[in-house]
Amino acid sequence: MRRILAIVLILCLATGPARPASQSVVLVVRADSPVTEMDSVTVRKLFLGLPVLVNGKLLHPLRNRSDPLLDEIFFQQLVAMSQPSYDRQILIGVNRQGWLRPAEYNSEASVLAALAADPSAVSFMWQRDVGHNSGIRVVRVLWSE
Amino acid sequence: MERIVNSLRVRLIGVVLVILAALVPPLYLGVSAIVREGYAERFVNSLRAYSRLIADELEALDESDFDRHAVGVLDSAVLSGQVVFAEIRDGSRTLHSSIATPSVNAPPRDDFHFGDQGDKTYFITHTVNRADHSVALRLGFDEVPTREQIAAAERRVLLAMAAFVATSIAVAVWLSWVIARPMVRLQEAAQRVASGDTHAQLDVGSSIREVQEFNYHLEHMRRELVGANEHLSREIREREVSEQKRLDLERRLLHRERIATIGTLAGGVAHEFNNIMTPILLYSQLALEEAPADSALARDLVRVIAAAHRARSLVTRILTFSRVMDSQQPSVFPLRVPVEEALALLREIVPTNIEIVLAAPEEPLSVLGDASLVHQVVINLCTNAYEAMRGSGGRLAVTLAAVENPDEPHLRAGLYHVLQVSDTGHGMDQTVLAHIFEPFFTTREVGEGTGLGLSVVHGIVSSLGGVITVRSAVGSGTTFSVYLPAAAAAATPATAASVEA
Repeated sequence: MRRILAIVLILCLATGPARPASQSVVLVVRADSPVTEMDSVTVRKLFLGLPVLVNGKLLHPLRNRSDPLLDEIFFQQLVAMSQPSYDRQILIGVNRQGWLRPAEYNSEASVLAALAADPSAVSFMWQRDVGHNSGIRVVRVLWSE
Repeated sequence: MERIVNSLRVRLIGVVLVILAALVPPLYLGVSAIVREGYAERFVNSLRAYSRLIADELEALDESDFDRHAVGVLDSAVLSGQVVFAEIRDGSRTLHSSIATPSVNAPPRDDFHFGDQGDKTYFITHTVNRADHSVALRLGFDEVPTREQIAAAERRVLLAMAAFVATSIAVAVWLSWVIARPMVRLQEAAQRVASGDTHAQLDVGSSIREVQEFNYHLEHMRRELVGANEHLSREIREREVSEQKRLDLERRLLHRERIATIGTLAGGVAHEFNNIMTPILLYSQLALEEAPADSALARDLVRVIAAAHRARSLVTRILTFSRVMDSQQPSVFPLRVPVEEALALLREIVPTNIEIVLAAPEEPLSVLGDASLVHQVVINLCTNAYEAMRGSGGRLAVTLAAVENPDEPHLRAGLYHVLQVSDTGHGMDQTVLAHIFEPFFTTREVGEGTGLGLSVVHGIVSSLGGVITVRSAVGSGTTFSVYLPAAAAAATPATAASVEA
């Protein structure tokens, strides 16, 4: 049963949108954002809802949910936990600590629009989708295949 | 087979089995899925955090002597126990853990779920940012221990399910037994009632309230039915007795009407015959007076006159039977007097091998009527008794007694004086008994009896307001009982005769 599910998942992934043989997920901000670098621990803090300040300004995490694989990479690479654990941590942080839940966007365009509108916003996306967009800047590579 | 399938116990157990068969498999699959997901989630959560720590540690390493330290970190990861593959790719250069399992080959893609790609190893890649470039940390975590844990947990779930099924079946069997037992006992009791044992209690005893109430109502119904049944049976018996009495009375009425008809006919004939006899006697006596004495004519006339007297006597007895005989004025007399007179006369003519016994109380036992008629009754009854014992001898017992409310169906309640004549003769059968009070019925040879004795007795007893009964059996003798109203109660006439054998 598990094997069949795995094969189906592989087939689904295989029949999904065509991707380049080598692809990367990158952390992005608006071009004029004060964020210049960010280590993996800070990235995790940010997307777990902990308040992260840069130059006295609170950063706003934007969770990109435009692609299922991107969602999986988010859990595995950015926050380094399973989805149920992440959901649990977010609930605990929001309800007990008063942290903010990261905003979620279901399309690449909406993520780009949100980044363009907020200099404190931090998000992630496929490297290829960044392209030659001069409005956003890559802070670091999160995952490469 | 159908009887077994339709039984309450089998059905109850069958329902439980069907429910278990419908619920247990999906329950087992659901619980197993939850177990698998729980273990997988814990595994994935753990390895993601651990691999992230390794990546962070590599990211924090100095550029100087990076390779040596990086291999140390990879070895440390492998030594943790779960990591079976560890390498760092830096462009075309690759660093491997010195102690990782060499047989493990990393697939080109990462795994994102437990069990992905079916290789029993979860591969994950982290990008480690260095000062001027990034390298890829690739780790492989062994899924086998978690799979074994999942399998063990599934076995425990299976055992728990088996225990649940076994317990459920045991409880179902016990419950079916508890529920069905009073029903079975009730059924057995109902069968006993149906087979005629209407007093079999339907009280089977049960701790179940519904069964108790059901039981109570059934027992109530049984008692009502038994009561109704007994009431109906009693009514049927009473009706049967009434019908028998009606038939008996009808038979006696017919018998009496027949006797009355014969009596009327005989009375009419006797009356006419009496009228004819009067001139015969008159002219015979006149002729005898005129005939020479000691002549043959005189002797013949004497015989004619004697025969005429016998004929008149016969006519008189017929008239007595038919109650046309002139009766004397009734008077109260002691019953013992005419009885003793009759017995005194009988003792003169009865042979000595026949013992005559009189048993009478001291009190007078007075009755209202004509004493000479009672005298005639005794003579007739005792003559019949003597005839029954002629030759063989025996005992002729005459008993007088007073009886209060005698157990005779034809008598009204009251005080009666009973004259009882018993012999030890040959007795009579049913056929004879049925006709003994009819006129001209006789069992004697032709010329020996007229057949009027008992019919005359019957007529006399009836005229005195009494009843005559007879009990007889062949070889056991005969007993006639004459019930005469005691003097105070003699005004209300009773009726007829009764015959018993």
